[in-house]
Amino acid sequence: MDDLIMTQRISKLKEKIHSNVRYASIEQAKIITDTYRANEDKPKIVQRALALKASLNRIEISIDPDELIVGNRTAGIRYGVVFPEGGTTWVDEEFEKLPTRAQDPFEVNQEDIIYFRENIKPYWETKSLEDVIQERYSNEINEISTVVKINQKDHAQGHICPDSKTWLAKGPQGLLEEAESYLENCPEEKKDFYKSVIITMEGAITFIERYADLANKLSNDSTIANTEERKISLIKIAENCQHISRKSPETFHEAVQLLWFLFVILQMESNASSFSPGRIDKFLYPYYKKDIDNGTITKQDALEIVESLWIKFNQIVYMRNSHSAKFFAGFPIGFNIALGGLDEKGNDFLNDISYLCLKAQEHLGMPQPNLSVRLHEKTSDEFIETAIKVVARGSGMPQFFNDKSVIPALREQGIEYVDALDYAIVGCVELTTQGNNLGWSDAAMFNLNKLLELTLTGGVDLLTSKKEKYIYSDQGDLATFSNFAELESAFAKNMDRYIGLMIKACEYVESAHIEILPTAFLSSVINPCLSEGIDVTAGGAKYNLSGIQMIQVANLADSLAAIKLLVFDEKKVSGAEFLEALKSNFQGYEPLRQMILNRVPKYGNDNDYVDNLGTRWAEYFKNRLSLYKNYRGGNYHTGMYTVSAHVPMGEVVGASPDGRFAKEPLADGGMSPMYGRDLEGPTAVLKSVSKLDKNLTSNGGLLNMKFLPKFFENEESIKRFVSFLRAFVELEIPHIQFNVVNRQDLIEAQKDPDRYRSLTIRVAGYTAYFTELATALQDEIIARTSYGEF
Amino acid sequence: MDQSSIQGTIFDIQRFSTHDGEGIRTNVFLKGCPLACVWCQNPEGIDPKIEPIWLPDKCIYCKACSDYAPAAISWDGDNLVINYAYQGDWSKIIEKCPTTALRFNAGKMTVLQLITELKKDEVFYKFGGGVTFSGGEPLIQIDFLELALIASKQRGWNTAIETALNVSWSSIERVLPYVDTLFADFKIFDNHEHMKHTFVSNNLIKENIGHLLTSEFKDKVIIRTPLIPIYTATKENISMIAKYISKIYPEVKYELLNYNPLAISKYPFTNLTYCFSDMNPTAYTNEEMLYFQNLALESGIRNLVKI
Ligand code: SF4
Repeated sequence: MDDLIMTQRISKLKEKIHSNVRYASIEQAKIITDTYRANEDKPKIVQRALALKASLNRIEISIDPDELIVGNRTAGIRYGVVFPEGGTTWVDEEFEKLPTRAQDPFEVNQEDIIYFRENIKPYWETKSLEDVIQERYSNEINEISTVVKINQKDHAQGHICPDSKTWLAKGPQGLLEEAESYLENCPEEKKDFYKSVIITMEGAITFIERYADLANKLSNDSTIANTEERKISLIKIAENCQHISRKSPETFHEAVQLLWFLFVILQMESNASSFSPGRIDKFLYPYYKKDIDNGTITKQDALEIVESLWIKFNQIVYMRNSHSAKFFAGFPIGFNIALGGLDEKGNDFLNDISYLCLKAQEHLGMPQPNLSVRLHEKTSDEFIETAIKVVARGSGMPQFFNDKSVIPALREQGIEYVDALDYAIVGCVELTTQGNNLGWSDAAMFNLNKLLELTLTGGVDLLTSKKEKYIYSDQGDLATFSNFAELESAFAKNMDRYIGLMIKACEYVESAHIEILPTAFLSSVINPCLSEGIDVTAGGAKYNLSGIQMIQVANLADSLAAIKLLVFDEKKVSGAEFLEALKSNFQGYEPLRQMILNRVPKYGNDNDYVDNLGTRWAEYFKNRLSLYKNYRGGNYHTGMYTVSAHVPMGEVVGASPDGRFAKEPLADGGMSPMYGRDLEGPTAVLKSVSKLDKNLTSNGGLLNMKFLPKFFENEESIKRFVSFLRAFVELEIPHIQFNVVNRQDLIEAQKDPDRYRSLTIRVAGYTAYFTELATALQDEIIARTSYGEF
Repeated sequence: MDQSSIQGTIFDIQRFSTHDGEGIRTNVFLKGCPLACVWCQNPEGIDPKIEPIWLPDKCIYCKACSDYAPAAISWDGDNLVINYAYQGDWSKIIEKCPTTALRFNAGKMTVLQLITELKKDEVFYKFGGGVTFSGGEPLIQIDFLELALIASKQRGWNTAIETALNVSWSSIERVLPYVDTLFADFKIFDNHEHMKHTFVSNNLIKENIGHLLTSEFKDKVIIRTPLIPIYTATKENISMIAKYISKIYPEVKYELLNYNPLAISKYPFTNLTYCFSDMNPTAYTNEEMLYFQNLALESGIRNLVKI
């Protein structure tokens, strides 16, 4: 693989992504609104299907003459799509501010704003998901919002790994025929579902054919097809699209093209984050092997096709409201790809495609796809070394997952062994089975540290001085707890209550999704929705989980350890004084804060005193949660990852007992220690993290580490890193990822963003362009501990 | 003597240490060294005494220390002055410091305590790592070191020691069976120069090298020369050392360590002066390293260790 190169074509395409201006587009919003207006009498699922079909038929499309893989949901690259079925209120409020907001800005056209306000917004006022939830449930959701952030309130649910294998085998035509045959014999109440699937597949076929036509046209236009190479590839595109619009792919190139159309159409149906391809080295391999065996392509050809797909993954971004953009900063669209891992017999699975994908990442180093490698005891040294060398180049990818941790954790959630063996990742680090799961992995984020604050103050918010409605007011506060057990029982009672309230809110949101956002196209690639005739939002998938994120166990453990040690074990300070210190944001209490920082064990240093407190409360949370079933009848389970929420979720927490000042970010990652406090080095971090049971992260866990580039300078160091990852597997930690970057480079990039436009950085379970992140998040990343300093 | 009561004086335990031996290792630094090289990288490890020290960067000037024990701690402007003659309980004073700016420069540990600490990274030793005893000069705490090595071997860990060999051969002999790799420094060939910059003669060191390289354990040995500009990194010195050791054992493993300019950062916490306190040289470039390596090869070395 070493002799494979990145072609001119690919570097040109890469360069174009950087130079493109990002707009907020209302084109699809217009089409959707018109279609709804014309079909008022139809059931929602049919209305939506028609709107998707109309979009597929009419949306402006474009082809770059250098492309090998085509397709996008807007004619421009990286456009934000206004999607009225999700919500229009936030767009209305923020439209003018989109170009200037701190995180994820978009340019706007004035005429669009006017058109939107006059023709789109009024229609959706009572109909969009956002508006419906707002009208019916805003009280219930807002009352707990200091502690719990409920997600998926203004957009469709993503975080899904569709059944790409079936999609490739059957194509839109095959699925259409299948739906037709089900329609013939199904009961009345399922007819709308099957009809809707058929409508969307018709749209899909037309959409692909439109690309064939356009490519044909361009290939005959000598100003565009101005070189022989361009002409040939445009003709190839036309042939490929023509073929796959009605038939299953014959070649690797066709298969990759059809795969990409699946993801474009899913985005057009749902405008959601994180539809993930999963194990492409598994399901694309037969196509590749056939072509290689026939001699129709070389490895270099295959790589160019893979790299073309990589470019495509970077051309779709997802526009969120400004609040949400802080939590998910820098466009984590989450095209997650999982390489390697165990096969269905429990043996090591790897092939050329696994290596080609690593090569593509090495060449391109862009934020998408979110490239993941599955490790286990039998993974070859060669593959790990190759992966490490890619990591060393600095895009933060691939990230690593641990079969030894993940598979048993999924089994614990009732997932069958074959499905667990075949797990993939969606979005950042969320674990999923492939093609049969609505994991709803970002149902909510629970701010454990805010809950601790409110417990310590007896319910008074340190930042706003407001009394929090649902905190029990008869349990006392830090000044009155006579021992640590009292504190813990007060904390537990408040936690129980908030979990209950959170579950209610999650149910409201899910019920609104069923009503407003049934998704026929998606359902056709999630088993067994199609054969059962049940939409995926209504529980048609084989697995129906809901994931809740615990934010952040690291700070919680450190805080509890500080109080336990200083107030109750050693009695160095009274509870009342400690509480005063928190209320005054440690002003005038620096010696106490120093004592907390230096004299109390911290999570991340392999110290049981503090680590066990973190584990204990994470377990408590998980066990409490497991008493509930979600709206689709599935389990609630826990994850430990924040995306970028550790910054905004820190902004709402006052001074915390771990010595953190008010409003400062919480620990990053999810399982990572608080930055700057892990003083015993990376092995100690791994040991601390390993004390968290794998079942706490069946929804996904995230461990961030930062290494200096010089750590990877020689073969000896690479070998050392292999043993580090082998120990990671042995310790049954679910996930780990590495930023390999010099602190100085980040500081320079802050000062001179233009020069560092292509610098990518691992934020949480995803990579973003460093200069596209808001300053607070940049600062936090710079502050994270670096290893490899000698 | 009751073995469980034997204590070692340890000034640092470094996990994820990635020098000195294979894989991911834990490095134990034993305090006290008979040499006192003017370029020493761990100057805090030379003196065997355990003493209180003060780190101004960590201090918040809360005066909790001096308020509690004015006889032990006083101030000279912003400088904290430690009265080393103070006979009271220093640990009580140190406990008062919230920042750990005031601390002991080392601690005592039994073998059992040390092994408990080392065990924490046992999972990493399985994949090519292990434990390394360094210093200071680990061999001057021979009773402790021997027991620690035996205990490590019993757990199946890979072991290494780093020594400057200015100790009796009988001490070296005691540990050899329990050591997988012995890194032995040979810094300066010329005895006069050696005395001048390390403050000891190199006669014993040469003698021990002779014993080592003719013993049954000779293949466990790696002789090393730290490249210190002016002092050790000279054409003559490297050639002489290389000739000398390869004559005794032609297959001897030899390693040249690049100069580490960061050593200077430790000196403010000691009362020693660094040899380059005025103008600190930079590390050697790859080409320069190659030059020295070639010198060694030309002088008879066959097994040059490179990382
Ligand atoms: S107690 Fe510690 S922090 Fe306070 S003045 Fe003394 S040395 Fe400095």
